[in-house]
Amino acid sequence: MSNTAWAVKHKPSSLGEVVGNKETIQKFIEWIKSWDVGPPKKRAAFLYGSTGIGKTITVEALAQDFKMELVEKNASDYRTEEAINRFVGLASQFSSLSGGKRIVLLDELDGLTGTADKGGVKAITDIVKDARCPIALTANSAYDPRFSNLRNYCLLLEFKKPGIGEVTKCLRGISEDEGIQADETALKFIAQRSEGDIRSAVNDLQALAQGKKRLSYEDVSWLGYRDRQESIFNVLKMIIYAKTCVGAKKAVDMADVDIDMLFEWIYENVPDHLNDPYDLANGMDALSIADVYRARIRATRDWSFMRYVIDYMTAGVAMARCKSKASGWIPFRFPSRIQMLSRSRFERATQLSIGQKVKRKCHISARRATREFLPYLRIIFKNNPEMAAGLAKWLDLNIEMIGYLVGDEGKSEAIIKLLA
Amino acid sequence: MWVEKYRPRTLVDIVDQKEIVERLKSFARSRNVPHCIFAGPPGTGKTTAALCLSRDLYGSEYREHTMELNASDERGIDVVRETVKTFARIKSIGEIPFKIMILDEADNMTSDAQQALRRTMERFTGTCRFVMCANYSGKIIEPIQSRCAPFRFIHLPREEHDHCLSQIAQKENIKLVNEGLDAIFEVCSGDLRRAINTLQAAASLNKPIDAKVVYSITGRASPSDVQKMIKTAMEGNFMDSRKQLRDMIQKYGVAGSDIIRQIHAEIFKSGIPEPWKIKLADVVGETDYRLVEGADEEVQLSALLAKLVEAGCDLKKAA
Repeated sequence: MSNTAWAVKHKPSSLGEVVGNKETIQKFIEWIKSWDVGPPKKRAAFLYGSTGIGKTITVEALAQDFKMELVEKNASDYRTEEAINRFVGLASQFSSLSGGKRIVLLDELDGLTGTADKGGVKAITDIVKDARCPIALTANSAYDPRFSNLRNYCLLLEFKKPGIGEVTKCLRGISEDEGIQADETALKFIAQRSEGDIRSAVNDLQALAQGKKRLSYEDVSWLGYRDRQESIFNVLKMIIYAKTCVGAKKAVDMADVDIDMLFEWIYENVPDHLNDPYDLANGMDALSIADVYRARIRATRDWSFMRYVIDYMTAGVAMARCKSKASGWIPFRFPSRIQMLSRSRFERATQLSIGQKVKRKCHISARRATREFLPYLRIIFKNNPEMAAGLAKWLDLNIEMIGYLVGDEGKSEAIIKLLA
Repeated sequence: MWVEKYRPRTLVDIVDQKEIVERLKSFARSRNVPHCIFAGPPGTGKTTAALCLSRDLYGSEYREHTMELNASDERGIDVVRETVKTFARIKSIGEIPFKIMILDEADNMTSDAQQALRRTMERFTGTCRFVMCANYSGKIIEPIQSRCAPFRFIHLPREEHDHCLSQIAQKENIKLVNEGLDAIFEVCSGDLRRAINTLQAAASLNKPIDAKVVYSITGRASPSDVQKMIKTAMEGNFMDSRKQLRDMIQKYGVAGSDIIRQIHAEIFKSGIPEPWKIKLADVVGETDYRLVEGADEEVQLSALLAKLVEAGCDLKKAA
């Protein structure tokens, strides 16, 4: 199993492979070509649009196609005016040291926030005004008031979300490269859920399909109620790899899923990331204590215990991780337990309705009846139609219930005949 | 179901729990019953005793004077406020001035509901007597316990278990060999409800019931499954052992309490060094306790598996 993220492994290497936004990309190409006759009026291209739709990738592919050196800086590199001024040198030279052309990419401008980045946008604006080589800027929105002045000096390029068809096509290509036979409906479902965010769609595909030969609609349909992927992956990373208790606990606020679902995510993924046996034992113990507190909430209906659930499932797990080695990129997996449970939701409803029937006759709770009677009823219904028919009549079971107990539609006929 | 067919109808028919039955009989004779708690493991006759008591008191019309409520299904405080109160406050017509309320699986009631119940019990003692059945009397709040006469039900002794099953086998005209009886006792350890269900399921196969038949039909994981899971964990493969656990719980519906009982037994049978056995027993015990507290079976048992992985790793280092 490969440990690279598919979103990286399969990223487009030339502009032709970038999904969607063809016209915008064409404008971008014309602008870069215009540099051949000297710096144009607008020295920077401002690529904006929602996350994961290929802004950065477009710049990277362009550099590749035009054989330009790409100098890339992102949010964490240019926090202050001072730090930004260090790039002035780079941006003011047209040629790179090797004699080739150069493009400077300032990624994720949204990352500039508050007072810490004071002067950052102004410094960038100053650089753009006098730039002697092309500069590309990316952000989720170009219309943030902070960028109002900067905008005047930039060619604005809006990136739109790709359509479901385009995302599906992209997923299809990746599955083929990975040798996975994927149903069209499954890919379309993933594409739909991603709402145009190609990166998260590819992450989803990897998490669901890696290591499989086939991907069917059943494998993905249970995701129906799941929240957006990217956020949960980040939250898990923040929790499991947190250095402080507070850091781990804070991640909970960022999760879009409820606490029980988040618990399932952590429970599923902890063993992969706590690979030292001592860490694993401690981490699983922390989860088990969190689970005990959940039981206490149920027993007392006192939700204030929730804080201890959160303590143990986040900080408890993070603090357990001390000897484990980082082992490359391990994809986070969907909680397979939930997958199994949701698949059998219908089954459990049937079980409980049979339990209700048993309850009426056998002085036992329906829950307990499903546990203590169902396994035996199943054996009887599979093996002995006469005894089964007698019981079905006595318990007043309907055809659906009989079918469930027999486990095979065809075979229940014998019992139904006996009932008639 | 045979459990129902052969359930004793009156206190006289109950063969075991002799002391309890004697006291209940005297209640029936004197036509006075205090509030009671019947505590004990599943399948030891708590509900049966409560139903028999009621039948002996009221005769064939016992249903009009008795209400059976299952706290596992209806355990909220609203049920106590509405259903229980409504039943308890209305006076019974007939010779006996009170009614009987059987609260089954009462240890599953929330403590709020129990608090509400405590007032109801007090106020309507004249018109209603409560019989609370529970696996663990400790889960019933102290004030209720102090208002009730406690009865401790114990697992059926071997002879009575055998006697009961043999009689059913005879009446149903099925062949039950001794090894089969041994196997049922081993699997159900004195839980008569499970024993009878096992017997009936085994009988549905239409062949003599021996140990092999019993093991093949019990929903309980066969000991070898648990053995394999422990081995996988001790060898350091946590993910595989968790998968095995998940299959046992979700696919085959094995109860967590069964798995833990078997792990406990297996540890002492296994070849691991003696001092480790007792260390692991403590870990198993803690897990068992957390399960009793109502925690999630798979989460708790997989935490136990992680401990086994750790133990396996330590053992390797020591070797």
